[in-house]
Amino acid sequence: MAVLEVHGLHQYFEQGTVNENHALKGIDLSLERGEFVAIIGGNGAGKSTLLNSIAGTLPVNQGQILIDGKDVTYQNVAKRAKLIARVFQDPRSGTASLLTIEQNLALAEKRGEWRNFWASGVKRRDRQHFQEKLATLGLGLEKRLGAEMGLLSGGQRQAVTLLMATLKKPALLLLDEHTAALDPQTSATVMALTDQMVRAQKITTLMITHNMASALKYGDRLIMLDHGEIAVDVRGEAKQNLTVEDLLTLFKERSGQEFADDAVLLS
Amino acid sequence: MDIVTSSIAQGLLWSVMAIGVYLTFRILDIADMTAEGSFPLGAAITAHAIVSGTGPIVATLMGFVGGAAAGAVSGFLTTKLHIPDLLTGILTMTGLYSVNLFIMGKANISLIGTVKTVFNLSDSGDATTISIMVGAIVVALVIGILVFFFHTEMGLAAAAVGNNQDMAAANGINNDAMKIIIYMLSNGLIALSGSLMAQTNGYADLSMGIGTIVIALAAIIISEILVRGVPLWARLLMIIVGAVIYRLIIAVVLDMGVDPNYLRFFYALMLTVFLSLPLLKKKLFQLKVRHGNRRPVKQRQTTISKAADTMPVSPMEQQKEVR
Repeated sequence: MAVLEVHGLHQYFEQGTVNENHALKGIDLSLERGEFVAIIGGNGAGKSTLLNSIAGTLPVNQGQILIDGKDVTYQNVAKRAKLIARVFQDPRSGTASLLTIEQNLALAEKRGEWRNFWASGVKRRDRQHFQEKLATLGLGLEKRLGAEMGLLSGGQRQAVTLLMATLKKPALLLLDEHTAALDPQTSATVMALTDQMVRAQKITTLMITHNMASALKYGDRLIMLDHGEIAVDVRGEAKQNLTVEDLLTLFKERSGQEFADDAVLLS
Repeated sequence: MDIVTSSIAQGLLWSVMAIGVYLTFRILDIADMTAEGSFPLGAAITAHAIVSGTGPIVATLMGFVGGAAAGAVSGFLTTKLHIPDLLTGILTMTGLYSVNLFIMGKANISLIGTVKTVFNLSDSGDATTISIMVGAIVVALVIGILVFFFHTEMGLAAAAVGNNQDMAAANGINNDAMKIIIYMLSNGLIALSGSLMAQTNGYADLSMGIGTIVIALAAIIISEILVRGVPLWARLLMIIVGAVIYRLIIAVVLDMGVDPNYLRFFYALMLTVFLSLPLLKKKLFQLKVRHGNRRPVKQRQTTISKAADTMPVSPMEQQKEVR
Protein backbone atom coordinates (compact mmCIF):
# COMPACT_ATOMS: atom_id res chain seq x y z
CA MET A 1 0.00 0.00 0.00
CA ALA A 2 1.19 3.45 -0.79
CA VAL A 3 2.33 5.48 2.22
CA LEU A 4 1.85 8.85 0.56
CA GLU A 5 -0.76 9.54 -2.11
CA VAL A 6 -1.14 12.95 -3.72
CA HIS A 7 -4.10 13.29 -6.08
CA GLY A 8 -4.52 16.20 -8.52
CA LEU A 9 -2.79 18.73 -6.32
CA HIS A 10 -3.08 22.33 -7.52
CA GLN A 11 -1.61 25.30 -5.68
CA TYR A 12 -2.08 28.94 -6.63
CA PHE A 13 -0.48 32.02 -5.13
CA GLU A 14 -2.32 35.34 -5.27
CA GLN A 15 -5.18 33.65 -7.07
CA GLY A 16 -7.42 36.02 -8.99
CA THR A 17 -4.86 38.82 -9.24
CA VAL A 18 -2.57 39.82 -12.11
CA ASN A 19 0.29 38.26 -10.15
CA GLU A 20 -1.38 34.86 -10.07
CA ASN A 21 1.14 32.07 -9.93
CA HIS A 22 -0.04 28.56 -10.67
CA ALA A 23 2.69 26.85 -8.65
CA LEU A 24 1.51 23.24 -8.84
CA LYS A 25 -0.48 22.03 -11.84
CA GLY A 26 -2.19 18.83 -10.84
CA ILE A 27 0.50 16.73 -9.20
CA ASP A 28 -0.24 13.00 -8.91
CA LEU A 29 2.30 11.20 -6.81
CA SER A 30 2.41 7.97 -4.86
CA LEU A 31 5.19 6.69 -2.58
CA GLU A 32 5.52 2.99 -1.72
CA ARG A 33 6.47 1.87 1.77
CA GLY A 34 10.19 2.27 2.41
CA GLU A 35 10.80 4.24 -0.77
CA PHE A 36 13.45 7.01 -0.67
CA VAL A 37 12.53 9.63 -3.25
CA ALA A 38 14.62 12.61 -4.26
CA ILE A 39 12.81 15.54 -5.86
CA ILE A 40 14.89 17.97 -7.89
CA GLY A 41 14.07 21.13 -9.77
CA GLY A 42 15.19 24.69 -10.32
CA ASN A 43 13.90 27.81 -8.65
CA GLY A 44 10.15 28.10 -9.01
CA ALA A 45 9.73 24.50 -10.14
CA GLY A 46 7.35 23.95 -7.23
CA LYS A 47 9.34 21.56 -5.06
CA SER A 48 9.02 23.62 -1.88
CA THR A 49 5.35 24.23 -2.57
CA LEU A 50 4.83 20.48 -2.91
CA LEU A 51 6.71 19.72 0.29
CA ASN A 52 4.91 22.44 2.26
CA SER A 53 1.55 21.17 1.00
CA ILE A 54 2.36 17.68 2.23
CA ALA A 55 3.74 18.97 5.54
CA GLY A 56 0.63 21.09 6.12
CA THR A 57 2.26 24.53 6.28
CA LEU A 58 0.50 25.53 3.05
CA PRO A 59 -3.29 25.12 2.80
CA VAL A 60 -4.29 23.02 -0.22
CA ASN A 61 -6.18 24.87 -2.98
CA GLN A 62 -7.33 21.81 -4.84
CA GLY A 63 -6.60 18.09 -4.63
CA GLN A 64 -6.17 15.49 -1.96
CA ILE A 65 -3.32 14.21 0.20
CA LEU A 66 -3.42 10.82 1.92
CA ILE A 67 -0.84 9.42 4.30
CA ASP A 68 -1.10 5.77 5.34
CA GLY A 69 -4.55 5.77 3.77
CA LYS A 70 -5.78 8.66 5.96
CA ASP A 71 -6.96 11.87 4.35
CA VAL A 72 -4.82 14.64 5.88
CA THR A 73 -5.63 17.34 3.30
CA TYR A 74 -7.23 19.64 5.87
CA GLN A 75 -5.21 18.69 8.96
CA ASN A 76 -2.84 21.24 10.48
CA VAL A 77 0.90 20.70 10.92
CA ALA A 78 0.64 19.56 14.54
CA LYS A 79 -2.02 16.94 13.70
CA ARG A 80 0.02 15.57 10.81
CA ALA A 81 3.04 15.24 13.10
CA LYS A 82 1.61 11.87 14.18
CA LEU A 83 2.59 10.62 10.71
CA ILE A 84 5.18 13.06 9.40
CA ALA A 85 8.62 14.09 10.62
CA ARG A 86 10.41 16.98 8.99
CA VAL A 87 13.95 18.34 8.71
CA PHE A 88 14.08 21.99 7.67
CA GLN A 89 16.55 23.78 5.43
CA ASP A 90 17.53 26.24 8.15
CA PRO A 91 19.41 24.34 10.90
CA ARG A 92 17.87 26.72 13.45
CA SER A 93 14.31 25.76 12.52
CA GLY A 94 14.38 22.12 13.52
CA THR A 95 15.43 22.51 17.14
CA ALA A 96 14.63 24.73 20.11
CA SER A 97 17.88 26.64 20.65
CA LEU A 98 17.25 27.62 24.28
CA LEU A 99 16.52 24.05 25.36
CA THR A 100 19.16 21.41 25.95
CA ILE A 101 20.00 18.55 23.59
CA GLU A 102 18.24 16.02 25.81
CA GLN A 103 15.15 18.23 26.13
CA ASN A 104 14.95 18.55 22.36
CA LEU A 105 15.25 14.79 21.96
CA ALA A 106 12.63 14.20 24.65
CA LEU A 107 10.25 16.55 22.82
CA ALA A 108 10.82 14.69 19.56
CA GLU A 109 10.38 11.29 21.17
CA LYS A 110 6.76 12.19 21.93
CA ARG A 111 6.05 13.62 18.49
CA GLY A 112 2.32 13.61 17.86
CA GLU A 113 1.52 12.16 21.30
CA TRP A 114 -0.33 13.60 24.29
CA ARG A 115 2.00 15.34 26.74
CA ASN A 116 0.90 15.35 30.38
CA PHE A 117 1.79 17.71 33.20
CA TRP A 118 2.85 15.21 35.83
CA ALA A 119 5.44 13.00 34.12
CA SER A 120 8.99 14.27 33.91
CA GLY A 121 9.87 15.68 30.49
CA VAL A 122 13.29 14.02 30.30
CA LYS A 123 13.10 10.64 32.01
CA ARG A 124 16.11 8.92 33.53
CA ARG A 125 15.75 5.85 31.32
CA ASP A 126 15.60 8.13 28.24
CA ARG A 127 19.09 9.48 28.87
CA GLN A 128 20.77 6.13 28.28
CA HIS A 129 18.78 5.70 25.08
CA PHE A 130 19.59 9.24 23.91
CA GLN A 131 23.30 8.72 24.54
CA GLU A 132 23.34 5.56 22.45
CA LYS A 133 21.52 7.30 19.62
CA LEU A 134 23.74 10.38 19.75
CA ALA A 135 26.82 8.16 19.67
CA THR A 136 25.71 6.86 16.25
CA LEU A 137 26.16 10.40 14.89
CA GLY A 138 29.86 10.22 15.69
CA LEU A 139 30.01 13.87 16.76
CA GLY A 140 30.76 13.31 20.44
CA LEU A 141 27.41 14.82 21.40
CA GLU A 142 26.59 11.88 23.69
CA LYS A 143 28.73 13.58 26.34
CA ARG A 144 26.87 16.87 26.00
CA LEU A 145 23.25 15.94 26.79
CA GLY A 146 22.81 19.01 28.98
CA ALA A 147 24.30 21.49 26.51
CA GLU A 148 22.06 24.18 25.08
CA MET A 149 21.11 23.47 21.47
CA GLY A 150 22.04 27.01 20.42
CA LEU A 151 25.70 26.32 21.20
CA LEU A 152 25.97 23.69 18.46
CA SER A 153 27.17 24.34 14.93
CA GLY A 154 24.79 24.21 11.96
CA GLY A 155 25.96 20.75 10.93
CA GLN A 156 25.63 19.38 14.45
CA ARG A 157 22.18 20.87 14.82
CA GLN A 158 21.08 19.38 11.52
CA ALA A 159 22.40 15.97 12.56
CA VAL A 160 20.48 16.20 15.84
CA THR A 161 17.34 17.31 13.98
CA LEU A 162 17.70 14.26 11.77
CA LEU A 163 18.01 12.08 14.85
CA MET A 164 14.94 13.77 16.36
CA ALA A 165 12.95 13.11 13.19
CA THR A 166 13.77 9.40 13.28
CA LEU A 167 13.76 8.84 17.06
CA LYS A 168 10.15 7.81 16.77
CA LYS A 169 9.80 6.23 13.33
CA PRO A 170 7.53 8.41 11.18
CA ALA A 171 5.28 7.07 8.43
CA LEU A 172 6.81 9.70 6.16
CA LEU A 173 10.02 11.68 6.50
CA LEU A 174 10.24 15.05 4.74
CA LEU A 175 13.68 16.49 4.04
CA ASP A 176 13.45 20.11 2.95
CA GLU A 177 16.82 20.87 1.24
CA HIS A 178 18.23 19.96 4.61
CA THR A 179 21.89 20.22 3.59
CA ALA A 180 21.62 23.39 1.49
CA ALA A 181 22.65 25.73 4.30
CA LEU A 182 25.77 23.74 5.24
CA ASP A 183 29.30 23.93 3.88
CA PRO A 184 30.12 21.27 1.23
CA GLN A 185 31.96 18.90 3.55
CA THR A 186 29.40 19.03 6.37
CA SER A 187 26.69 18.74 3.76
CA ALA A 188 28.22 15.48 2.50
CA THR A 189 28.53 14.12 6.04
CA VAL A 190 24.92 14.94 6.91
CA MET A 191 23.75 13.47 3.59
CA ALA A 192 25.60 10.19 4.27
CA LEU A 193 24.12 10.14 7.78
CA THR A 194 20.66 10.68 6.32
CA ASP A 195 21.06 7.74 3.95
CA GLN A 196 22.29 5.52 6.75
CA MET A 197 19.36 6.39 9.05
CA VAL A 198 16.72 6.10 6.35
CA ARG A 199 18.07 2.70 5.23
CA ALA A 200 18.47 1.32 8.74
CA GLN A 201 14.82 1.96 9.64
CA LYS A 202 13.43 1.64 6.09
CA ILE A 203 11.70 5.00 6.41
CA THR A 204 9.57 6.25 3.53
CA THR A 205 11.31 9.49 2.64
CA LEU A 206 10.68 12.46 0.41
CA MET A 207 13.74 14.66 -0.04
CA ILE A 208 13.80 17.85 -2.06
CA THR A 209 17.15 19.13 -3.15
CA HIS A 210 18.91 21.67 -5.29
CA ASN A 211 21.85 19.38 -5.61
CA MET A 212 21.80 17.13 -8.69
CA ALA A 213 24.74 15.04 -7.51
CA SER A 214 23.11 14.01 -4.23
CA ALA A 215 19.78 13.40 -5.99
CA LEU A 216 21.59 10.99 -8.31
CA LYS A 217 23.69 9.38 -5.60
CA TYR A 218 20.99 8.86 -2.97
CA GLY A 219 17.48 7.47 -3.06
CA ASP A 220 15.77 4.80 -5.12
CA ARG A 221 13.68 7.14 -7.19
CA LEU A 222 14.25 10.55 -8.74
CA ILE A 223 11.55 13.03 -9.66
CA MET A 224 12.26 16.21 -11.55
CA LEU A 225 9.76 19.03 -11.31
CA ASP A 226 9.37 21.75 -13.91
CA HIS A 227 6.92 24.64 -13.72
CA GLY A 228 4.66 22.81 -11.30
CA GLU A 229 4.57 19.53 -13.20
CA ILE A 230 6.46 16.26 -12.92
CA ALA A 231 8.87 16.26 -15.88
CA VAL A 232 10.94 13.18 -15.08
CA ASP A 233 10.20 10.19 -12.82
CA VAL A 234 12.86 7.46 -12.80
CA ARG A 235 13.07 4.51 -10.43
CA GLY A 236 14.64 1.11 -9.91
CA GLU A 237 17.65 0.08 -11.95
CA ALA A 238 17.21 2.95 -14.37
CA LYS A 239 17.66 5.36 -11.44
CA GLN A 240 20.78 3.59 -10.15
CA ASN A 241 22.50 3.93 -13.53
CA LEU A 242 21.35 7.45 -14.20
CA THR A 243 23.95 10.12 -15.02
CA VAL A 244 23.71 13.88 -15.28
CA GLU A 245 23.73 13.66 -19.12
CA ASP A 246 20.90 11.07 -19.07
CA LEU A 247 18.88 13.28 -16.81
CA LEU A 248 19.32 16.35 -19.00
CA THR A 249 18.40 14.36 -22.12
CA LEU A 250 15.32 12.96 -20.40
CA PHE A 251 14.34 16.41 -19.27
CA LYS A 252 14.65 17.78 -22.80
CA GLU A 253 12.58 14.95 -24.26
CA ARG A 254 9.76 15.35 -21.76
CA SER A 255 9.54 19.08 -21.37
CA GLY A 256 10.69 20.07 -24.85
CA GLN A 257 13.32 22.51 -23.64
CA GLU A 258 16.89 22.61 -22.37
CA PHE A 259 17.33 22.45 -18.67
CA ALA A 260 19.07 25.66 -17.72
CA ASP A 261 19.48 26.42 -14.07
CA ASP A 262 23.03 27.05 -13.01
CA ALA A 263 22.19 26.65 -9.34
CA VAL A 264 21.24 23.03 -10.00
CA LEU A 265 23.82 22.16 -12.65
CA LEU A 266 26.80 23.60 -10.84
CA SER A 267 26.03 22.28 -7.38
CA MET B 1 16.32 48.99 58.89
CA ASP B 2 12.61 49.64 58.74
CA ILE B 3 12.93 50.57 55.08
CA VAL B 4 14.72 47.31 54.33
CA THR B 5 12.22 44.99 56.01
CA SER B 6 9.22 46.76 54.53
CA SER B 7 10.89 46.65 51.10
CA ILE B 8 11.42 42.90 51.48
CA ALA B 9 7.79 42.45 52.47
CA GLN B 10 6.55 44.51 49.52
CA GLY B 11 9.09 43.00 47.13
CA LEU B 12 7.99 39.45 47.93
CA LEU B 13 4.37 40.24 47.08
CA TRP B 14 5.33 42.13 43.92
CA SER B 15 7.62 39.30 42.84
CA VAL B 16 4.57 37.04 42.49
CA MET B 17 3.32 39.47 39.86
CA ALA B 18 6.76 39.81 38.29
CA ILE B 19 7.03 36.03 37.93
CA GLY B 20 3.61 36.03 36.27
CA VAL B 21 4.69 38.73 33.83
CA TYR B 22 7.95 36.85 33.24
CA LEU B 23 6.01 33.87 31.81
CA THR B 24 4.51 35.89 28.98
CA PHE B 25 7.34 38.41 28.62
CA ARG B 26 10.29 36.02 28.49
CA ILE B 27 8.87 32.58 27.72
CA LEU B 28 6.36 33.69 25.05
CA ASP B 29 8.16 36.96 24.21
CA ILE B 30 4.96 39.00 24.57
CA ALA B 31 4.40 42.17 26.60
CA ASP B 32 0.95 41.24 27.86
CA MET B 33 -0.99 44.29 29.03
CA THR B 34 -3.76 42.08 30.45
CA ALA B 35 -1.68 42.29 33.65
CA GLU B 36 -3.01 45.76 34.48
CA GLY B 37 -6.55 44.37 34.44
CA SER B 38 -5.98 41.01 36.09
CA PHE B 39 -4.05 42.56 39.00
CA PRO B 40 -7.07 44.57 40.26
CA LEU B 41 -9.32 41.66 39.22
CA GLY B 42 -7.59 39.42 41.76
CA ALA B 43 -7.91 42.18 44.36
CA ALA B 44 -11.59 42.75 43.55
CA ILE B 45 -12.57 39.08 43.68
CA THR B 46 -10.71 38.47 46.95
CA ALA B 47 -11.95 41.66 48.61
CA HIS B 48 -15.54 40.98 47.64
CA ALA B 49 -15.30 37.36 48.76
CA ILE B 50 -13.73 38.25 52.12
CA VAL B 51 -16.30 40.96 52.81
CA SER B 52 -19.06 38.47 51.94
CA GLY B 53 -17.67 36.08 54.54
CA THR B 54 -15.50 33.67 52.55
CA GLY B 55 -12.34 32.38 54.24
CA PRO B 56 -9.23 34.36 53.25
CA ILE B 57 -7.32 31.41 51.74
CA VAL B 58 -10.24 30.36 49.57
CA ALA B 59 -10.83 34.01 48.64
CA THR B 60 -7.17 34.33 47.58
CA LEU B 61 -7.39 31.19 45.44
CA MET B 62 -10.57 32.56 43.85
CA GLY B 63 -8.54 35.61 42.86
CA PHE B 64 -6.00 33.35 41.16
CA VAL B 65 -8.73 31.50 39.24
CA GLY B 66 -10.28 34.81 38.14
CA GLY B 67 -6.94 35.97 36.76
CA ALA B 68 -6.46 32.68 34.93
CA ALA B 69 -9.86 33.19 33.29
CA ALA B 70 -8.82 36.67 32.17
CA GLY B 71 -5.63 35.14 30.76
CA ALA B 72 -7.67 32.56 28.89
CA VAL B 73 -9.64 35.37 27.22
CA SER B 74 -6.46 37.15 26.09
CA GLY B 75 -4.95 33.86 24.94
CA PHE B 76 -8.05 33.06 22.94
CA LEU B 77 -8.14 36.51 21.30
CA THR B 78 -4.53 36.34 20.16
CA THR B 79 -4.30 32.66 19.11
CA LYS B 80 -7.76 31.97 17.71
CA LEU B 81 -8.78 35.41 16.44
CA HIS B 82 -5.22 36.44 15.48
CA ILE B 83 -5.47 39.85 17.16
CA PRO B 84 -1.93 41.21 17.73
CA ASP B 85 -0.80 40.39 21.26
CA LEU B 86 -0.28 43.99 22.39
CA LEU B 87 -3.83 44.91 21.33
CA THR B 88 -5.23 41.75 22.91
CA GLY B 89 -3.88 42.84 26.27
CA ILE B 90 -5.29 46.34 25.89
CA LEU B 91 -8.71 44.94 24.91
CA THR B 92 -8.92 42.56 27.86
CA MET B 93 -7.57 45.20 30.25
CA THR B 94 -10.20 47.70 29.11
CA GLY B 95 -12.99 45.17 29.42
CA LEU B 96 -11.79 44.09 32.85
CA TYR B 97 -12.21 47.63 34.22
CA SER B 98 -15.99 47.22 33.96
CA VAL B 99 -15.82 43.63 35.18
CA ASN B 100 -13.89 44.75 38.26
CA LEU B 101 -16.38 47.53 38.95
CA PHE B 102 -19.21 45.01 38.60
CA ILE B 103 -17.55 42.62 41.07
CA MET B 104 -16.80 45.31 43.67
CA GLY B 105 -20.02 47.25 43.15
CA LYS B 106 -18.10 50.46 43.95
CA ALA B 107 -14.66 51.91 43.28
CA ASN B 108 -13.12 50.86 46.58
CA ILE B 109 -13.60 48.09 49.14
CA SER B 110 -11.97 48.48 52.54
CA LEU B 111 -10.58 45.43 54.30
CA ILE B 112 -9.51 47.28 57.42
CA GLY B 113 -11.13 46.34 60.71
CA THR B 114 -12.27 42.97 61.88
CA VAL B 115 -12.14 41.11 58.57
CA LYS B 116 -9.87 38.08 58.32
CA THR B 117 -7.12 38.19 55.68
CA VAL B 118 -4.23 35.81 55.04
CA PHE B 119 -2.06 38.28 56.93
CA ASN B 120 -3.94 38.18 60.24
CA LEU B 121 -4.78 34.50 60.43
CA SER B 122 -2.40 34.21 63.39
CA ASP B 123 -2.46 36.97 66.01
CA SER B 124 1.19 36.90 67.04
CA GLY B 125 4.01 38.91 65.46
CA ASP B 126 4.10 42.37 63.92
CA ALA B 127 2.57 43.15 60.54
CA THR B 128 5.83 43.30 58.54
CA THR B 129 7.13 39.95 59.84
CA ILE B 130 3.86 38.21 59.03
CA SER B 131 3.79 39.85 55.64
CA ILE B 132 7.31 38.57 54.88
CA MET B 133 6.39 35.07 56.07
CA VAL B 134 3.19 34.87 54.03
CA GLY B 135 4.96 36.33 50.99
CA ALA B 136 7.85 33.88 51.32
CA ILE B 137 5.51 30.87 51.58
CA VAL B 138 3.49 31.97 48.53
CA VAL B 139 6.59 32.72 46.41
CA ALA B 140 8.22 29.43 47.41
CA LEU B 141 5.07 27.55 46.38
CA VAL B 142 4.81 29.45 43.09
CA ILE B 143 8.47 28.90 42.13
CA GLY B 144 8.31 25.25 43.18
CA ILE B 145 5.23 24.60 41.06
CA LEU B 146 6.58 26.49 38.04
CA VAL B 147 9.98 24.76 38.11
CA PHE B 148 8.18 21.41 38.38
CA PHE B 149 5.82 22.32 35.54
CA PHE B 150 8.58 23.36 33.14
CA HIS B 151 10.28 20.02 33.65
CA THR B 152 7.20 17.97 32.78
CA GLU B 153 6.32 16.82 29.27
CA MET B 154 3.78 19.60 28.88
CA GLY B 155 6.05 22.25 30.41
CA LEU B 156 8.83 21.31 28.02
CA ALA B 157 6.37 21.64 25.14
CA ALA B 158 5.34 25.09 26.42
CA ALA B 159 8.98 26.18 26.57
CA ALA B 160 9.48 24.91 23.02
CA VAL B 161 6.50 26.96 21.81
CA GLY B 162 8.05 30.10 23.25
CA ASN B 163 11.37 29.27 21.63
CA ASN B 164 10.54 27.91 18.16
CA GLN B 165 6.97 27.55 16.96
CA ASP B 166 7.90 25.78 13.71
CA MET B 167 9.79 23.12 15.61
CA ALA B 168 6.98 22.79 18.15
CA ALA B 169 4.34 22.30 15.45
CA ALA B 170 6.53 19.84 13.54
CA ASN B 171 6.69 17.76 16.71
CA GLY B 172 2.93 17.76 17.11
CA ILE B 173 2.69 20.44 19.81
CA ASN B 174 -0.49 22.52 19.70
CA ASN B 175 1.00 26.03 19.75
CA ASP B 176 -2.32 27.74 20.51
CA ALA B 177 -3.20 25.51 23.45
CA MET B 178 0.24 25.93 25.01
CA LYS B 179 0.10 29.71 24.62
CA ILE B 180 -3.31 29.83 26.28
CA ILE B 181 -1.99 27.73 29.19
CA ILE B 182 0.92 30.14 29.69
CA TYR B 183 -1.43 33.13 29.47
CA MET B 184 -3.65 31.55 32.15
CA LEU B 185 -0.75 30.74 34.48
CA SER B 186 0.71 34.20 34.00
CA ASN B 187 -2.47 36.14 34.70
CA GLY B 188 -3.45 33.80 37.51
CA LEU B 189 -0.20 34.71 39.29
CA ILE B 190 -0.69 38.41 38.57
CA ALA B 191 -4.20 38.26 40.06
CA LEU B 192 -2.80 36.34 43.04
CA SER B 193 -0.35 39.17 43.60
CA GLY B 194 -3.21 41.70 43.38
CA SER B 195 -5.21 39.69 45.84
CA LEU B 196 -2.34 39.61 48.36
CA MET B 197 -1.64 43.30 47.83
CA ALA B 198 -5.27 44.21 48.59
CA GLN B 199 -5.13 42.18 51.80
CA THR B 200 -1.86 43.67 53.02
CA ASN B 201 -2.80 47.25 52.09
CA GLY B 202 -6.27 46.86 53.55
CA TYR B 203 -8.26 47.83 50.47
CA ALA B 204 -9.04 46.91 46.88
CA ASP B 205 -9.21 49.81 44.48
CA LEU B 206 -10.42 49.99 40.92
CA SER B 207 -7.34 51.91 39.76
CA MET B 208 -4.70 49.88 41.62
CA GLY B 209 -3.61 48.14 38.40
CA ILE B 210 -2.35 51.27 36.65
CA GLY B 211 1.40 51.13 36.16
CA THR B 212 1.81 47.70 37.74
CA ILE B 213 3.24 46.07 34.61
CA VAL B 214 6.03 48.65 34.69
CA ILE B 215 6.89 47.63 38.28
CA ALA B 216 6.90 43.95 37.31
CA LEU B 217 9.04 44.51 34.22
CA ALA B 218 11.50 46.57 36.25
CA ALA B 219 11.90 43.70 38.73
CA ILE B 220 12.54 41.29 35.83
CA ILE B 221 15.06 43.58 34.14
CA ILE B 222 16.96 44.22 37.39
CA SER B 223 17.17 40.47 37.99
CA GLU B 224 18.53 39.98 34.48
CA ILE B 225 21.14 42.69 34.95
CA LEU B 226 22.31 40.84 38.07
CA VAL B 227 22.62 37.35 36.55
CA ARG B 228 22.44 35.81 33.08
CA GLY B 229 22.40 32.29 31.69
CA VAL B 230 21.32 30.50 34.86
CA PRO B 231 18.67 27.76 35.21
CA LEU B 232 14.99 28.64 35.51
CA TRP B 233 14.77 28.24 39.30
CA ALA B 234 17.67 30.65 39.77
CA ARG B 235 16.15 33.14 37.35
CA LEU B 236 12.84 33.04 39.25
CA LEU B 237 14.64 33.47 42.57
CA MET B 238 16.54 36.46 41.18
CA ILE B 239 13.22 38.08 40.26
CA ILE B 240 12.46 38.25 44.00
CA VAL B 241 15.79 40.02 44.52
CA GLY B 242 14.95 42.33 41.63
CA ALA B 243 11.56 43.17 43.11
CA VAL B 244 13.05 43.87 46.55
CA ILE B 245 15.76 46.12 45.08
CA TYR B 246 13.12 47.99 43.13
CA ARG B 247 11.02 48.55 46.26
CA LEU B 248 14.16 49.76 48.05
CA ILE B 249 14.84 52.32 45.34
CA ILE B 250 11.23 53.51 45.55
CA ALA B 251 11.46 53.69 49.34
CA VAL B 252 14.58 55.82 49.07
CA VAL B 253 12.89 58.10 46.51
CA LEU B 254 9.93 58.52 48.88
CA ASP B 255 12.29 59.12 51.76
CA MET B 256 13.85 61.98 49.82
CA GLY B 257 10.50 63.72 50.05
CA VAL B 258 9.01 63.04 46.62
CA ASP B 259 5.23 63.35 46.57
CA PRO B 260 3.81 59.76 46.39
CA ASN B 261 1.29 61.01 43.81
CA TYR B 262 4.13 61.56 41.34
CA LEU B 263 5.62 58.13 41.89
CA ARG B 264 4.48 56.68 38.57
CA PHE B 265 6.75 59.10 36.78
CA PHE B 266 9.66 57.50 38.61
CA TYR B 267 8.35 54.01 37.74
CA ALA B 268 8.45 54.93 34.06
CA LEU B 269 11.77 56.78 34.29
CA MET B 270 13.50 53.93 36.09
CA LEU B 271 12.25 51.23 33.73
CA THR B 272 13.48 53.36 30.82
CA VAL B 273 16.91 53.53 32.42
CA PHE B 274 16.98 49.79 33.16
CA LEU B 275 15.86 48.88 29.65
CA SER B 276 18.50 51.07 28.02
CA LEU B 277 21.27 49.94 30.37
CA PRO B 278 22.48 47.02 28.19
CA LEU B 279 22.81 49.36 25.20
CA LEU B 280 24.61 52.03 27.23
CA LYS B 281 27.00 49.37 28.53
CA LYS B 282 27.71 48.20 24.99
CA LYS B 283 28.31 51.74 23.73
CA LEU B 284 30.68 52.42 26.60
CA PHE B 285 32.57 49.23 25.83
CA GLN B 286 32.84 50.14 22.13
CA LEU B 287 34.06 53.59 23.05
CA LYS B 288 36.84 52.04 25.14
CA VAL B 289 37.80 49.66 22.33
CA ARG B 290 37.95 52.51 19.81
CA HIS B 291 40.00 54.60 22.17
CA GLY B 292 42.40 51.70 22.68
CA ASN B 293 42.75 51.18 18.92
CA ARG B 294 43.44 54.83 18.19
CA ARG B 295 46.58 55.05 20.32
CA PRO B 296 48.99 52.94 18.16
CA VAL B 297 47.95 54.88 15.05
CA LYS B 298 48.74 58.16 16.77
CA GLN B 299 52.13 56.85 17.83
CA ARG B 300 52.98 55.86 14.28
CA GLN B 301 52.00 59.29 13.00
CA THR B 302 54.21 61.02 15.56
CA THR B 303 57.21 58.84 14.67
CA ILE B 304 56.74 59.65 10.99
CA SER B 305 56.58 63.38 11.65
CA LYS B 306 59.60 63.10 13.96
CA ALA B 307 61.55 61.34 11.20
CA ALA B 308 60.58 64.12 8.83
CA ASP B 309 61.88 66.70 11.28
CA THR B 310 65.34 65.15 11.43
CA MET B 311 65.74 64.98 7.63
CA PRO B 312 67.98 67.69 6.24
CA VAL B 313 65.58 68.34 3.39
CA SER B 314 61.84 67.75 3.76
CA PRO B 315 60.45 64.81 1.68
CA MET B 316 58.51 67.23 -0.51
CA GLU B 317 61.64 69.19 -1.35
CA GLN B 318 63.53 65.96 -2.14
CA GLN B 319 60.92 65.09 -4.73
CA LYS B 320 61.39 68.44 -6.42
CA GLU B 321 65.17 67.99 -6.61
CA VAL B 322 64.84 64.63 -8.34
CA ARG B 323 62.70 66.21 -11.00
